[in-house]
Amino acid sequence: MKQIAIYGKGGIGKSSISSNLSVNLASNGLEVLLVGCDPKSDSAINLFGGRRIDTVLDLYKKGVTDPDKLVFEGFNGVKAVEVGGPAAGVGCAGRGILVALKTLNKDYYLEKGFDVVIYDVPGDVVCGGFAGPAREGYADEIYIVTSGEYLSIYAANNIVKGLFNLNVKLGGIIGNMRGITNEVEKIELYAKEIDSSLIGAIERNHKIHESEIEGKTVLEKYPNDPLNLKFKDIGSKILQNKKAKVPTPTVDEKIRSILGGVY
Amino acid sequence: MNILTPRPNPIVAALYTLRDLDVDVAVLHGPSGCGFRAARLLEEDGMKVVTTSMSEEDLIFGASDKLIEVLKEVDDLFSPNLIGVVGSCVSMIIGENVKKAIIDSGLSDKAFFIEIHGCMGANTRGAIETLKAARDFGLIDEREFKRQEKMLLLATEVELNRGMAKLKYTRPSRGADLKTVAEYIINQLKENKKIAVILNAKKETAYLFADIPLAINLASKKYGGSVINIANLSTDIGLSRIRRYAKDIINDFESNGISIDYISGGVDEYPISGKKAIEYLENKEFDLLVAVGIPQALPTIKKDSIAVTNGPREVHPLEDAGYKYVTVEIASHSTVMGTREIVLSELGEVIRNIAGT
Repeated sequence: MKQIAIYGKGGIGKSSISSNLSVNLASNGLEVLLVGCDPKSDSAINLFGGRRIDTVLDLYKKGVTDPDKLVFEGFNGVKAVEVGGPAAGVGCAGRGILVALKTLNKDYYLEKGFDVVIYDVPGDVVCGGFAGPAREGYADEIYIVTSGEYLSIYAANNIVKGLFNLNVKLGGIIGNMRGITNEVEKIELYAKEIDSSLIGAIERNHKIHESEIEGKTVLEKYPNDPLNLKFKDIGSKILQNKKAKVPTPTVDEKIRSILGGVY
Repeated sequence: MNILTPRPNPIVAALYTLRDLDVDVAVLHGPSGCGFRAARLLEEDGMKVVTTSMSEEDLIFGASDKLIEVLKEVDDLFSPNLIGVVGSCVSMIIGENVKKAIIDSGLSDKAFFIEIHGCMGANTRGAIETLKAARDFGLIDEREFKRQEKMLLLATEVELNRGMAKLKYTRPSRGADLKTVAEYIINQLKENKKIAVILNAKKETAYLFADIPLAINLASKKYGGSVINIANLSTDIGLSRIRRYAKDIINDFESNGISIDYISGGVDEYPISGKKAIEYLENKEFDLLVAVGIPQALPTIKKDSIAVTNGPREVHPLEDAGYKYVTVEIASHSTVMGTREIVLSELGEVIRNIAGT
């Protein structure tokens, strides 16, 4: 079993990549569990035709803690869990993630025979709770989603600082392209700077957008589209990746210098 | 320096300060175990202390609704005039909007919020934040706030410079054997010596520490010798409850035929009244000094001296300061709640037993 966590700047496309990766890995015959850690509960929405599943924390409030009742089966047999969380502006979403992770743990995943567990974690590492999936016993390695834009790479570097502090391995960078000049080169240079690599890039594609409007992954709406092969390729690279290591964060000036040098 | 010794808690200090302000009910917005021991003691002193009993679920989803419900319940149950809502580590870390909850409860005319949690430093910070909230709510004026704030900051300095926060780690101790200390005091009196007794007590603990000068004075009447009585028992300083403590103790002294030679300040002025007491003694002849209450707030003097404190972790710093004997009144907080008269102290009892007074 391999457990990975997807981090990245808010709005960069972590949930799109996580759900598309999940269904494509499942189409290769793997048992996949997608754990959405965003209090907005929108990680798995594209596996259920736009329907929101009951969240771990909503069920927890009702006294339901049996993991089997927290996991739902979505498109292509992918199992999914949404951690959920408090309403905006109250409570502590980070604590919610920790409580949910305690309920859903490695022993349960092994018992159920999952081959891959993907944690989709919101935003930057904002507090200890959001770093929960990166802690020992959960994700084996982290993947950061970024575009070649400055703020996205700046956020990625902030996550790298968190991984460095927590001594957590980074599997690599996944590019979610915005169509800016020399974007792949920019991300590759940054990845090299932090002692990592770009393991794959998803080009900007209207089919992702169109699929999501219907609450679907690309595989469901456009099963024969080559874009699916790209997700499969990233998925197999992740499964075969043996080069994950603790990254070394860089400084802001260096990021600006890298991005400025490849206009 | 990172001080390893556990020290008093700002949340508990906030609760005690609400009691000083004659607040009827303190609502602790936190887990049910937070402030447990202090809450029980404060109930004995007439202030109701309730908790919102925050759970893991509340930690995740917030507990403002629960707080509103508790405030309404408290109002129904106790019909209070004043309610203080005290923060805790969990409620403050998750950013509970307590002020809004008070408004939503419809009790903003009688309830006010003290924004405090356990990670805000010295316990005195809890007291200062409470006084600040009380000032903003109109319970005390700016002058009284400033006076008490000054005292609390000085109290923090006392602990840092001469008390339990002086060293990286201070191990607790029960100090000298009470019988040894009592016999030493009585022998001094038998030898017709003069004992200066300084009562430099903190607030309600004065009810207990006042028993030691009382016992020494009664022993002096039997055996001879003489006593200089100094006490921080001004009846003109501090909140009405604080002044009441001083009046009660003075009444008890008077009914036992004991007069105070010098009033060194109010019972909330212990950080400065000790210094005034020593200044008063500068030109006086005496053979033994007995300092009770907060002796660590007294300047060191090169005299034969005994200190009686309330904290086992104050013993070693006081021994280091040069006191011949240091003893502890371990129950100083638990025995004084709700009293209106001097309560028995351990050392006072041993003196009385030996003297047969």
